[in-house]
Amino acid sequence: MQMSAISHKGRQGALGVIVTLLLLAVPAPYRALSALGAPESAAAEASIRIGMSGNPDTLDPHRTSGTLTFFSIRGFYDTLIEPGEEGEYRPALAERWEVSDDGLIWTFELRERVRFHHGRILQAADVVATFERILDDTIASPHARELRRLKRVEALNERTVRFVLSEPYTPLLATLASGWGAILPADLVESGHRFSVEPVGTGAYVFVHWQEDSHIRMRRNPEYWRGNEVGAPEEIALRIITETTVQEQALIAGQLDIIDMVSEAMLDTLEQRSDTMVDRTLSSLVMVLAMNNHHELLQDLRVRQAIAHAVNKQQVLDVAYNGGRPVSTFLDYGDPFYADVEDPYPYDPDRARELLDESDYAGETLRMSVPQNYEPHVRAAEIYTEMLGRVGLNVELRLIEWSSWLSDVYQNSDFDLTVIGHTGKLDPDGRFAGYDTGDNYVNWHHPKAEELLEAARTEAELERRYELYAELQRIMAEEVPMVFVGTSYRHMGLRASIREFHMDPKLDTIDFYRLRKD
Amino acid sequence: MPSLRFFLGKLGRLIATIFAITSLVFIVLRVLPGDPARTIAGLDADEREVAALRAELGTDRPLGEQYLSWLSATARLDFGASFFHERPVVDLIRERIPLTLSLSVAAFAGALVLALPLGVAMAVRRWGAVDYLGMGFSHAAMALPEFWLAILLLLGFAVLLGWFPLFGAATPRHFVLPVVALALSRAAVLVRLVRSSMIEELDKEYVLAARAHGLPEPRIRYRYALRNALLPVITVGAIQFGYLLGGSIVIEQVFSLPGLGRLLLSAIYRRDFPVVQGGVIVTAVVFSGVNFIADLLYSAANPKIRMR
Repeated sequence: MQMSAISHKGRQGALGVIVTLLLLAVPAPYRALSALGAPESAAAEASIRIGMSGNPDTLDPHRTSGTLTFFSIRGFYDTLIEPGEEGEYRPALAERWEVSDDGLIWTFELRERVRFHHGRILQAADVVATFERILDDTIASPHARELRRLKRVEALNERTVRFVLSEPYTPLLATLASGWGAILPADLVESGHRFSVEPVGTGAYVFVHWQEDSHIRMRRNPEYWRGNEVGAPEEIALRIITETTVQEQALIAGQLDIIDMVSEAMLDTLEQRSDTMVDRTLSSLVMVLAMNNHHELLQDLRVRQAIAHAVNKQQVLDVAYNGGRPVSTFLDYGDPFYADVEDPYPYDPDRARELLDESDYAGETLRMSVPQNYEPHVRAAEIYTEMLGRVGLNVELRLIEWSSWLSDVYQNSDFDLTVIGHTGKLDPDGRFAGYDTGDNYVNWHHPKAEELLEAARTEAELERRYELYAELQRIMAEEVPMVFVGTSYRHMGLRASIREFHMDPKLDTIDFYRLRKD
Repeated sequence: MPSLRFFLGKLGRLIATIFAITSLVFIVLRVLPGDPARTIAGLDADEREVAALRAELGTDRPLGEQYLSWLSATARLDFGASFFHERPVVDLIRERIPLTLSLSVAAFAGALVLALPLGVAMAVRRWGAVDYLGMGFSHAAMALPEFWLAILLLLGFAVLLGWFPLFGAATPRHFVLPVVALALSRAAVLVRLVRSSMIEELDKEYVLAARAHGLPEPRIRYRYALRNALLPVITVGAIQFGYLLGGSIVIEQVFSLPGLGRLLLSAIYRRDFPVVQGGVIVTAVVFSGVNFIADLLYSAANPKIRMR
């Protein structure tokens, strides 16, 4: 009989394990909770909760170019100077500064009685240590290039610091005002402190805790040099929530105060409700349909012109990017240096067809490589494919991963067409980096443009720089190394109780210092 | 109990499997397009800065050299640190694994609690009302993708009814919806298995013999038939547990839970090699470990296996 083949002992063992598993399972989540140790909703009134679409790569300002990093660390750090509204700069940690007549020596006078979060007073040595750190090869900062003309930084006394350049370099101010110009304390730089996981700065908020994929918490800095005692929240929490729907519903339910993603479908709802609102600012992005200028067809100006004529920019912005302002050149619409060049190749499918007929195009298929994790770019690519198809250009869409896009398309220029957004820079020189040497992903090489860039970089006078960049932008508009499509809007959802919400498009972050909640 | 030789043989295969999986992952990561240094540096950096980063990360060294140093470090249980924020991989995983494991264990328990009685009830009253309802549930739950079910649960119970929070992991209430979402799809598979396995047992001769001896029906069903019917459930259950580990990636994403799945997912996206490798090793160990235990259990329960 089969029954005897199975020992009682064995069967009881098997059942026993299943029962044990069941028993283990019930208290297990509770134990997981204590491991997380993230008290929530405590003191919700005194705190502001912000939904953020992803993790920062790191909290070290010098070792990344990730936009979410600079969004997250804005409250922890200060820079020597800050960007103003019109492309000028305002004092921050530096009270005043001056530049020598030859443009080579910049001297900054530091503010008094500024304290780091770990208690030390800010001194010139901290500024020196900070910029030496960016240039340190073992730090391998992606921003080292911006300081390549820096011969040395030196402390003249406790409050005076001097930057000595090898050649005039006006964009230096932009570097100092950018997120990666954050000033770190010299003692911690020396001891090899891991700023990547535990930031220490002079900012309005003190870092408390970062649990990846969950949250970043910060508390008010009671000793902040600007003073922020009136009405400032005791705590700000960044909640990492990748699903747009969850962010939106959490805002409506009052579980979040600010969200950084709003879908087109929810814009009206959030605007019409009495307890929520939408903040709309022009971003600092330029959305482009980029072309490989080394490609045998695309090096023909007529083909590039045809592609530009085939694209209805406003339609792409409205459908793919939630609205925006069309541009015809490489600076974003809101940039003080933006030259409002009239579009030399407006939407005109008939003209596009004519130009294609004149060219050598004979029905070849162009590959459009698109980073698949950026949904708006994928949508835009679908529209471009359709628009180009209508004028008789065959395009095949290829979705690739972001890391592959960076190495294949951006680094190795292995593409025909691609869709991307270029983020804004405080100084136009940053946007045009690589276009002065021909070493850029679209393989665009133009001697006149390169001369202009060199001149603008060393020019100190603002008016003259405006002119130089305007001429450069006209050249780019006519040469269309890529189709410059437009600048999109950035939408943030807010609870109605939020006050003093200021989005800084160039730094791509909120001014945490001024933020208030009723 | 299983013999030592059997045990050691299984253990050897376990270690070989883990070694093969992790080596494969090591190679695949490096063959795939995508450069961690460029991913860190972003669009603004030029080739010189990216090269400096590569040197710093060690990804510019020959593949063989990288493999050997990785192998020797891994053998010493040194998984390295994240490329992006310097935290040791061991710390990252230690932080994440309690959540993912308890989510999986709770969902597995939930699936068993649902599937065992339902499967038995369906088998006992074959083609009855319970059987049809159960089959209907099983079909539906297997057809629904997990993420969709998760979003439906979220919209229904967190948004419309407001019974549960939308995100976070601070209280037990935060875990109810994710556990239910995971458990339902696993239960859908298990319930069919329990049913068919139970039906098979009930049709066997020993059941007939037991009935002929006049043993009470509940005793026949639950004492004899159910126990034998559970044998295949152990094996399949272990595999299902592996699916749970995988399925939790999606669930963690939807419910904004900081678990191992999301850690791995973002590490893969941004080519954070040490984190991917460490995470895969741990997942492979857990998955193979569970299967190993299931093998031992099975052989303990069924002496015929031991002979092989």
